[in-house]
Amino acid sequence: MSTKKYRFSPIIYGLTQISFYLLVIFIVILHLAPFLWQVICSLKNVDEIYSLPLKYIPSKISLSAYRDLISNPLFLRYLLNSILISLSTTFFCLLLASLSGYALSRLSLRFKTFFQFLLLIACLFPQIIFLVPLYELMANLKLINKPLALVLPYVTFSLPLAVWVMTGFFQTIPKEIEEQAIIDGFSRLKILTKIILPLSRPALATCAILIFIGPFAWNEFLFSLSFMIKDTSRTVPVGIALLSGASMYEMPWNKICAACVLTTLPLIIFVIIFQKRIIEGLTRGALK
Amino acid sequence: MYKLIIITSLMIASSYFSCYPQEKTKITFLGWPDPGGGFEEVISDFEKENPDIDVEMIKGPTSTDTRETMYVTSFLAGEATYDMVFMDIIWVPKFAKQGWLIPLDGWFKEERKEFLPGDIQGSIYQGKIYRVPLQSDAGVLYYRKDLLEKEGFMPPQTWDELIKISQKLQNPPHLWGFVFQGKQYEGLVCNFLEILWSFGGDIFDKKGNLILNSPQGVQALEFMYKLIHTYKITPEGVTTYEEEETRHIFQEGRTIFCRNWPYMWKLTQEENSPVKNKVGIIRIPHKEGKNSFSTLGGWGFGISKFSKNKSACIKFIKYITSYQAQKKLHLKSGIVPTRKALFSDEEILKLNPHYPDLYQILLSAKPRPVHPEYAQISDILKRFIHKVLLGELSPKTALDKAELKIKKVLKE
Amino acid sequence: MPKSFDEQKFGLLLILPSFILLGLVALYPILRNLILSFTENDQFIGIKNFILLFQDERFKSSLFNTLLFCLISVPLQLFLGLVFALILQQRFFTRGFVRTSVFLPWALPTAVMAVAWKWIFNDTYGVFNDILLRLQIIKEPLAWLGKPDLAFFCIILAEVWKCTPFVTVILLAGLQSIPPELYEAISVDGANTLQRFRLITLPLLRPFLLVALVFRTIQALGVFDSIWVLTGGGPGGSTEPISLYVYDTVFRYLKFSYGSTMVIFSFILSLIFVFIFYKFWGDRQIEY
Repeated sequence: MSTKKYRFSPIIYGLTQISFYLLVIFIVILHLAPFLWQVICSLKNVDEIYSLPLKYIPSKISLSAYRDLISNPLFLRYLLNSILISLSTTFFCLLLASLSGYALSRLSLRFKTFFQFLLLIACLFPQIIFLVPLYELMANLKLINKPLALVLPYVTFSLPLAVWVMTGFFQTIPKEIEEQAIIDGFSRLKILTKIILPLSRPALATCAILIFIGPFAWNEFLFSLSFMIKDTSRTVPVGIALLSGASMYEMPWNKICAACVLTTLPLIIFVIIFQKRIIEGLTRGALK
Repeated sequence: MYKLIIITSLMIASSYFSCYPQEKTKITFLGWPDPGGGFEEVISDFEKENPDIDVEMIKGPTSTDTRETMYVTSFLAGEATYDMVFMDIIWVPKFAKQGWLIPLDGWFKEERKEFLPGDIQGSIYQGKIYRVPLQSDAGVLYYRKDLLEKEGFMPPQTWDELIKISQKLQNPPHLWGFVFQGKQYEGLVCNFLEILWSFGGDIFDKKGNLILNSPQGVQALEFMYKLIHTYKITPEGVTTYEEEETRHIFQEGRTIFCRNWPYMWKLTQEENSPVKNKVGIIRIPHKEGKNSFSTLGGWGFGISKFSKNKSACIKFIKYITSYQAQKKLHLKSGIVPTRKALFSDEEILKLNPHYPDLYQILLSAKPRPVHPEYAQISDILKRFIHKVLLGELSPKTALDKAELKIKKVLKE
Repeated sequence: MPKSFDEQKFGLLLILPSFILLGLVALYPILRNLILSFTENDQFIGIKNFILLFQDERFKSSLFNTLLFCLISVPLQLFLGLVFALILQQRFFTRGFVRTSVFLPWALPTAVMAVAWKWIFNDTYGVFNDILLRLQIIKEPLAWLGKPDLAFFCIILAEVWKCTPFVTVILLAGLQSIPPELYEAISVDGANTLQRFRLITLPLLRPFLLVALVFRTIQALGVFDSIWVLTGGGPGGSTEPISLYVYDTVFRYLKFSYGSTMVIFSFILSLIFVFIFYKFWGDRQIEY
């Protein structure tokens, strides 16, 4: 959709453009403001955080919070764990969602309704109630402290949304393409892998983003806290919760903010990469 | 090619199932982040003396509730994830009732009198003891020595004195009279109890009857409300304060009196603290003619029923609660000891000249009601006390309703 | 298309791994909860728990809070998400950067951002009060998290800030899937922007709006992390949602069967919502 050109007045056009950009700037500020405040606080000295009146620009920029974090090998380990687990979750969930989505959108199966029902109820229950039974399960499978203990539930709970997105998308692919392919002698499997999946890149990319930064991957807290008990197995949100100050009750705000900033960097990178692919996939045009 | 795959898979599989011959017994517990590293040091000392035992302290989050959930999760699953239970005083009856802890009476009998009485009392459930106290904690009143001395005031013994001093010296909003923890959380109940006791009331009497809804109870709640709205020595924002908020207000010099836990002392005496050397500690004030009691907090060690290495746990607990270990924990991490003798220790006294006062306060500190349903009772109290502070309910109505609900809980 | 046995087998194979995962990780705990809700201390007591539930004042209040929370935050998110998606669909300079910023709130760990919001809403040291004071919108600092109505506002603000990007992403994908030829065709017929929006955009976006609506509502019904950190359910229980009460019941009061009862109720509630949404907005084929 391109912006319309007003034939009668360049001034009105200019005004429209300006107000549009102002709106955009306002939107960006709205979304970034709390995060920017985090960045500012992460650069302050500990005492400056509690001084009044509030300083919006730290009088001296202190990187001590970042230094503390990076020099802590445990924190880097948390980052690594989070990356590993989130990437695995995204990959396996995309895989399962594509397969299931295709089956649901194309083929009529006896168990289709039951399967859809399962997906539905998996997301209709509050997360809390899965905690103890899953803990029991993981303990029995001897998976406590192993990444698989998190990947299994994460993939499971990310499935409903992913399957919906993929199913919806597959439904928009015209049946003629497949019918043609069958006539040409392609097997079902080949159709799936060589034709359908490449066409699905935009949906896959959207799905990947939704999974990776969704409630059951990078940001997940409750299961990670309960299943990853050893220091070296923990993920980043739990790591941030563990940051403590000089006393039991203290919250070292500059360190917490710095950790927050550091942990969003991989996410931002991830989003930037996939964001480009969305545009790429979409400018390839409609699926005709 | 296939052979390679088979061999590799076997190796990976075997790494999952292999068990090395157990030379060392390993015991774990979930503790807090251990600022100061006191625990780490004591643990490594213990391991040096007991080379066949490996102690692992898992550092949990600062939030007490979160750590409680972690313990509960593993108990519910019947797992021996944690051999020892490092627990808050209010968890004892709850866990004991569920049968998750083993009684320690067998080996912890005579030693008890060496410990502070309140801590011991809070570790007993239905006549058996389930926890060896390690850290003691009680509410105290911090005050600005310098401000009081300048005007010739003695530190207040009664609430009336505190109000008088506050109203004379304060200058809101730059300098308030009195702040306490008024947010809707466990700390609020601790504050309320201190005030309730100081008016001569209580929640349960010695026989276990509910006596919360009494004239003293109403007076206590009224008093808390009046602090904000009638005497106006406490800011309205107090209903959002936890420990740290009150500490910052006191440390930045914006309040004369602050009720908090002993941990605040060390921080107010640090180099860049604006109130360094200007701080005093006294008992919580009381109503004219009554007595003051502090609410007891504190942590200690119990042993999980599911542990497979109970004797190693006993050894460790005996060690870490010994005189020397507690002293080390104090010197490194500022932990308030539970052994009475440590309060006369020279080294400790040198660092903490206020400790004799603190000792007296601890001796008379009372635990919260030792009841397995305490969590529910506490939650009911929190809600209604908070509503009174906000002015949404009158003290009498709040107590009437709270009494009804608590009675329902007790019937279950 | 002949529905051959092979096709059945293939389809089944495709959904099998997801099936197993769902059964193990999701179904088993749910069944366990279902059974628990009819028992007390391992004895079958029928629907006694459910009767108790309906007499439970605290439960009724948490139900009210949850419903109110959904009723306000979800439509807000849908509306804002639509606006942002429409804007992001335009081509403009720095669009990539703007898109990344708009995704950011969703990417930050919930629990950690809730801690940050707590700090922002602090009555003495909070940025929120500071800005409002400087702009002279308020005369005195407000105790945002200390008064029931204000606290409710805070939790809604935090939720809308965090979750709108989710809606934006889905709607953006939806917008991108609308073939531009349709807009061209209707422009030729002389339609203006508003008509284009009403006749083409909205109807074709409907499936995506539905997905966003359903998922956001379900997640809002189960909201936990952010409120637990931000207000703990206070002040006076005025911001306590159902999931927080479930947490207390199971993990702090150790009343497992009663907790399961609440969970089953919560599930039925979500089911009702999904059913209503589908009945009124669901699956209608779009004729091109």
